[in-house]
Amino acid sequence: MIFEQLSGNLLQGLVLGSVYGMATMGLSLIFGVLQVVNVGHGAFIMVGAFTSLMMFQAAGVPPVLAIPVAFAIGMALGMLFYFGALKPLVSPSGSGIKSLDMRAVGMGAGILVALLVVMRFLSAAFKLHFAITLFVAIIFLYGFLLYIYGGRRQDKAPELATLLVTFSIGVILEESVKQLFTSEARGFNWAIGKLDLGVTVLPYTKLIASFGSLTIAVLLYLWFRKTRAGMAMRSVVEDDVGARVCGVNVDWQYALSFSLGIGLTVTSGVLLTMFIPVGINPYMGGPYTLKSFVIAVLGGLASPYGAFFGGLVFGLVENGSYTLFAQFQGLEPFAMTRFFSFVMLLVILLLRPTGLLKVK
Amino acid sequence: MSLLRVENVTKRFGGLVAVDDMSFEIRHGELMAIVGPNGAGKTTMFNLINGVFPADEGRIIFEDVDVTRYPAYKRAHLGIGRTFQIPRPFASATVRENIAIGGMFGAAGSEISVDRAMELADHYIDIIGLKEHRDKPAGGLTPVEKKLVEIARALAMKPRLLLMDEAMAGMNPKDIDEMVAFIREIRDTEGIAIVSMVEHIMRAVAGLAERVIVMHQGALLVDEPTQEALSDPRVIEVYLGQPPEEAHA
Amino acid sequence: MMRPVRAYYPILPVLIGYGILFGIGQMVPGKWQLISQLAFFCALGQAFNLFMGMTGYVDFGYVAFLGVGTYGMAVSIYYLFDKGLGLTMIVIGMILAAVFSTLLSLAVGAVALRLRGAYFAIATIGVNEGFRFLIEGARIWNGSDGMIFSRHMKTAFGRETAMALSMKWADVIVFGVAFLAAVMTLLYMRNKVGYALTALREDEDAAKVMGINVTRYKLIAFITSAILAGLLGASAWALKLTYVYPTDVFAIHYTVEAIIIVLLGGAGTLLGPIVGGLIYGVSKYYLAIVLPGFQLMIFAPIIIMIIVLFPEGTVGILKKRVFGTPLEKFII
Repeated sequence: MIFEQLSGNLLQGLVLGSVYGMATMGLSLIFGVLQVVNVGHGAFIMVGAFTSLMMFQAAGVPPVLAIPVAFAIGMALGMLFYFGALKPLVSPSGSGIKSLDMRAVGMGAGILVALLVVMRFLSAAFKLHFAITLFVAIIFLYGFLLYIYGGRRQDKAPELATLLVTFSIGVILEESVKQLFTSEARGFNWAIGKLDLGVTVLPYTKLIASFGSLTIAVLLYLWFRKTRAGMAMRSVVEDDVGARVCGVNVDWQYALSFSLGIGLTVTSGVLLTMFIPVGINPYMGGPYTLKSFVIAVLGGLASPYGAFFGGLVFGLVENGSYTLFAQFQGLEPFAMTRFFSFVMLLVILLLRPTGLLKVK
Repeated sequence: MSLLRVENVTKRFGGLVAVDDMSFEIRHGELMAIVGPNGAGKTTMFNLINGVFPADEGRIIFEDVDVTRYPAYKRAHLGIGRTFQIPRPFASATVRENIAIGGMFGAAGSEISVDRAMELADHYIDIIGLKEHRDKPAGGLTPVEKKLVEIARALAMKPRLLLMDEAMAGMNPKDIDEMVAFIREIRDTEGIAIVSMVEHIMRAVAGLAERVIVMHQGALLVDEPTQEALSDPRVIEVYLGQPPEEAHA
Repeated sequence: MMRPVRAYYPILPVLIGYGILFGIGQMVPGKWQLISQLAFFCALGQAFNLFMGMTGYVDFGYVAFLGVGTYGMAVSIYYLFDKGLGLTMIVIGMILAAVFSTLLSLAVGAVALRLRGAYFAIATIGVNEGFRFLIEGARIWNGSDGMIFSRHMKTAFGRETAMALSMKWADVIVFGVAFLAAVMTLLYMRNKVGYALTALREDEDAAKVMGINVTRYKLIAFITSAILAGLLGASAWALKLTYVYPTDVFAIHYTVEAIIIVLLGGAGTLLGPIVGGLIYGVSKYYLAIVLPGFQLMIFAPIIIMIIVLFPEGTVGILKKRVFGTPLEKFII
């Protein structure tokens, strides 16, 4: 009985694992090229899930067709956040900021206070409108200051800076989506039949998602191996100084890999909705950030293919442990599975911080 | 009795043997240089002596203590100091604090209070002649000043062995002469052994070393007084007489 | 080990700052809630800064320490209320809070503090979620149903005392924790711990070579910061609210707030968390009136702005300004 249940769940885990793997490839790609851990990873998955949900609800577009749209949105967001926030911190040509003038700080604070005062006197009916105005004003002010004080700085920003920036990007996305769609959990139903395998039943949507993940992983592999652009990016992973000497525009490669990584991540959000089309809400990304970190560390953090295989392993372990926890009275297997993935992360980091799987 | 004994030490990185069965000794208060072309394994040897990573085989004995498995900070407590090729002072801390940190945590660290370490720092600031920069953050100094701060920081640790990583890389001839004189002087006043890492043997002649160890492809080539090494045919071959296809190895 | 008194002058502005805040709260009617909220933000920043500001490591799961601290106090009151211990129960609660947060910080620190930068962040990001799911999954302390103990407090202390405890004394303890955190920060800064932390924040490899046992000093800062967070959870959440739910006390947005406060004020400075806490607390208060629900959306871009444009924060810039003036001795 339990073995039948277990084998069924493991099969489910393997199928889900391929999507998990794909959802982590972007994270690994970004770390491999930029040495930046995208702490806001889960929020981008959430954006993908909302893309899928909205297209299905508004126009009845099946999630498969949302994939290219999500990829384009991801690439665009990637470019926006790279040039808007990360470039001054990580760019090898060092387009950082000189020390800040007190006048600019005063001016910025003045504009903010003025905005707040203005809003205080305008009625509550315009809340959303003015919130967006304020948000845009901050972004504008930021761009303005960046423009005035954009200089060159010698040293790279500490790692802390990129961690906090990617974390904040995640918060911005979550809060923006919350303002647009509220924080209630949503779902949709795309039913196209099921495949009965005896030990378990697999809906075709899951099979399509799994197949989609595999296809994307293969395409990424071919792109890295066979195209000029892919090889240029690989050369940056190996040695960014060497790549620069050989005429690779490392700056552009950073921007490209960040947005490619974000594109892949947002796409994976679409694929995940084919598995779990419910519970889509602005804060759904958190657990996926954790899962992706476990997977990435399993696969060696900097290797997208390692991540893909890490995803398969993680899918198996997650569903296997769920089955086991469900055998115990007094445990809530769903919550315990999540606790288990956290313990797994610590154990892997303790044993082999550079990754358990050896995949080049 | 020797200060440091390296016995049959080997270190591999994957398939590459970076240090191959090295054995040598360093005596108390001596001026020595580890010489070798780029890629000879000098930096790896330095890292093995001060514990940045452990050796795969062999033993390292410092003043009768087997330190082969000791982490870097414990070796520093025993009296092994180190400077880096590109100076790495703690940028946000002042010059005085930088040097005091050496005193606080170095070989005599456990007995030295913060205030005592500050006094010690003032003493070394006088020696390196950076009095006017005492309370400035070290990050804003010139490269040569940073190098001096780093040496002072290492000296404040009260080491018995000081490893100096390419002390003169990128300096002009005048600065080199001053630095050599300075290194000889601190050897005499502090009574410590100083081992410099030098890429080209001609630099060692400038008075930096009484004895040299020449490394070639991870292994020990010669271990002899500087003057003899200069005319040693094996050394000359490494630097001048290599067939071109090996020169790039 | 003690340094001359002059080295500890910077505690004066801290004392004055908290004193004025406390005074306003006591004198101005109807403002105590706002003031205690501000004190909470200052304390949160002060405790968080002790680790993040001084080591340059960011712990994304920091709220877990507040969470287990809250449970420490909750467990004490929930299970001991009928034992006739009186106010000793509060002391036991504080001790339990400190013990729980110490144990958690040891468990996390033992793994995470061996790791560098990015790997540390990865190891900590799941701590709060992981702990929440442990409590829910294994149904520890009522699991996801939480613990509600206002009734227990009234039984144990009587209605009047119970009210005073949650309405007033909980906030007074928060002030105490904030001040204690500032004292610990200054003590560390002025002694070897602080110099070791500065060194490892700037260059961990060089610090090791200088004889600094980096893991040990990181752990010292980590545990101290965790205990302070635990005490804060026990007072500002458990004692004040008289209930605890796992989803509330492990919510990541408190970590976000801690980061905002520290960066606004200036990471690694003594006065920064107070300045940051006040700026954040006041703006959050007014934003909640004019734009409820928008504070994180507005503050998240501000974090990016600070990191890119002025990473030293308010007090960091002020420190540079007063360099060479008599004020220099007081502002760090």
